[in-house]
Amino acid sequence: MSELIVVEGVSKRYVTSSGPVDALRDISLSVGGGEFCTLIGPSGCGKSTLLGMLGGLVTADAGRVVVDSRPVERPDPRRVATVFQDPGLFPWRTTLENVEFGLELQGVPAARRRQVATDLLGPLGLRDFAAKYPRELSGGMRQRVAIGRALAIDTPIVLMDEPFGALDEQTRVLMGEWLLDIWRRMRKTVVFVTHSLHEALALSTRVVVMTARPGRIKSVLELPMPYPRAMESSELVALRAKLWSDIRDESLRAMGEPHP
Amino acid sequence: MKVLAIRVAIVVALLGAWEIVGRTANPLLYVPPSAAVPALGRLLARDSYPDLAEHLLLTLREILVAYALAIVAGLGCGFALGFNRLVGRAYGPILAALYAVPAVVWYPSLMLFFGLDAASKIAFGFLLGFFPITLAVLAGIRQVSPQMLVVARAFGADGLTAFRKVTLPAMLFTLVGGLRTGLALTVIGVIVGEILGSKSGMGSLINHAYGLFRTADYIALVVVTLVLIVGSDALASAVEHRAQRWTD
Repeated sequence: MSELIVVEGVSKRYVTSSGPVDALRDISLSVGGGEFCTLIGPSGCGKSTLLGMLGGLVTADAGRVVVDSRPVERPDPRRVATVFQDPGLFPWRTTLENVEFGLELQGVPAARRRQVATDLLGPLGLRDFAAKYPRELSGGMRQRVAIGRALAIDTPIVLMDEPFGALDEQTRVLMGEWLLDIWRRMRKTVVFVTHSLHEALALSTRVVVMTARPGRIKSVLELPMPYPRAMESSELVALRAKLWSDIRDESLRAMGEPHP
Repeated sequence: MKVLAIRVAIVVALLGAWEIVGRTANPLLYVPPSAAVPALGRLLARDSYPDLAEHLLLTLREILVAYALAIVAGLGCGFALGFNRLVGRAYGPILAALYAVPAVVWYPSLMLFFGLDAASKIAFGFLLGFFPITLAVLAGIRQVSPQMLVVARAFGADGLTAFRKVTLPAMLFTLVGGLRTGLALTVIGVIVGEILGSKSGMGSLINHAYGLFRTADYIALVVVTLVLIVGSDALASAVEHRAQRWTD
């Protein structure tokens, strides 16, 4: 498998008012084309920092980050698109105009970008909401608009930072199924950050468990099973137990630490 | 429809009360509407004040110049303070404190600096209009959610693009509100300046009529000035509504 994303010996330290905080220490990871790779770990373990590095929004103190055989120095919207937990939609733009945003920045002609965005509304389940403003949409719809904005620029890599973290459990499960369908149809490489064991096991081809701060890689779980997955199968139940025991240890450690 | 009926009723009641009080009181000080309307006719026919148009134009010109200066300086100051955290923290509180001072206390010194002609009126109108515009820019910049700027950066926006596509539309409504308040205060500043000390402009005519006990003419002049003020505010309000439709 060709390695689309390579992270080598990456560290990051933040300086806060109460002293320096080691967010990441010596992380190495590679993600192949077409993978759905999930980062999971306790709060504050640096998952989002790592994702920010892949997207060029955060610079590493040490080590290197290579995407599509180029070192990452700044956001590169031709290769990488990002979906954030806070969708950050523009309230003065309609659904369609929000989805078009990235193409507009790339100077794609108006008619062309309107076409691309309109074609995406079907798979996004937003066809009837093209002219609505974000305040008129539900939380799940808003997040789909944000995902549409990322898909519209048609990058090989999509980074997702807890995209369903703010949604209720039912919506979350349905959104996961929907995302799986989109991912399989569009053949993207996804790096996904979550707190949810269910999401990690139902969606990923690989799960990377990170340790409590400073974030390091604790274990990697390969999930070769086909989709859609029967979450009650003995295989997945066993994997869930294994995953939970790894995360539980780290979460306990994270809880024992005073917050910065 | 109901609102309109109530509004008309209020106006009619007020005019009625005014008429009754005006007829019974000293005719030198109180003029009933039935006498004010003919005075307005004489004013508009250039009978009582033949040079009304020149005065009106001068006032309009003073307002326009003062407002243009207030916009340029207000936007410039606001963005400079808003985008430069250190300067903003140093000068922001001073600005807010100055805004709280009743601006009229500055007027005598403005007349000393700029004389009795148009310049001091422009300076006073500018001074009143400048603060709300600057403060609106500062408030608007604080309103822009950092997350939206992160999104813009992730999608490849440089500083200028992020300003154009995110900051400006996000703060537009607050900005337009500040511009509207700024216009209203500029108009007030210019007219008050003219009333306090001037030989020309609507304020000086008002002062003249009032000083000579030409109360009916005085009321007619006030009505014309009111139309000017209400008209400019209606224009600003229309712009504000457009901005509101466009923004959140």
